[in-house]
Amino acid sequence: MADQEKLVIMVTHGPEDPELATIPFVMAGAAVASDVDVVMGFQGEGCRLVQKGVAETVSAPEFAPLAGLLDSIRELGGQFLVCSPCVKSRGIEDELIDGAEVCAAARFVAEITSATNSLVY
Amino acid sequence: MSATLSETDLAGVTADKVVDARGAACPGPLLETKKAMGTVPVGSVLELWSSDPQTKVDIAAWCGKVGHELLGTLSADGYERVLVRRMK
Repeated sequence: MADQEKLVIMVTHGPEDPELATIPFVMAGAAVASDVDVVMGFQGEGCRLVQKGVAETVSAPEFAPLAGLLDSIRELGGQFLVCSPCVKSRGIEDELIDGAEVCAAARFVAEITSATNSLVY
Repeated sequence: MSATLSETDLAGVTADKVVDARGAACPGPLLETKKAMGTVPVGSVLELWSSDPQTKVDIAAWCGKVGHELLGTLSADGYERVLVRRMK
């Protein structure tokens, strides 16, 4: 019996690049649907995607709307971790969506080194 | 990708639940199937409607990974009907 699989997906693009903002959510959606544990890590402009009201504004041609993907991933157990200095520098630490957890580098390292695999977007 | 039933047999299958994901982009049909699978008993058949031609390939890969049975795919008017049996 294999251990539970876990995928860590780091997101560094935000609303300024709708396609690269959306693709990690597509991958995360497929992973949670496949019974893989998913941790999404948001750094840099990627942090904007878990700021309240922002996901609803992001949609890339031919892709599913980002907000619906985010809701499905959260519903199916995906975790959202957000880089502490990234949110502080943008002044959005009090504006994050429910379920988004602010954390520092060591937490990301722990998640990545304990994962089956990781992706960086 | 392997289907276990012939097209004739497949056409005779009555699904326990239909998931209409027509118009949804990847991975919408997969996510809808995953959610619906949790609402029916083991042994039930789900019928997924999708207008995305990649869905049947995606669902086949998903069935192989998570252990459900892909019964097969039927063409309809502008969409495909993918039949999956819940196995666990």
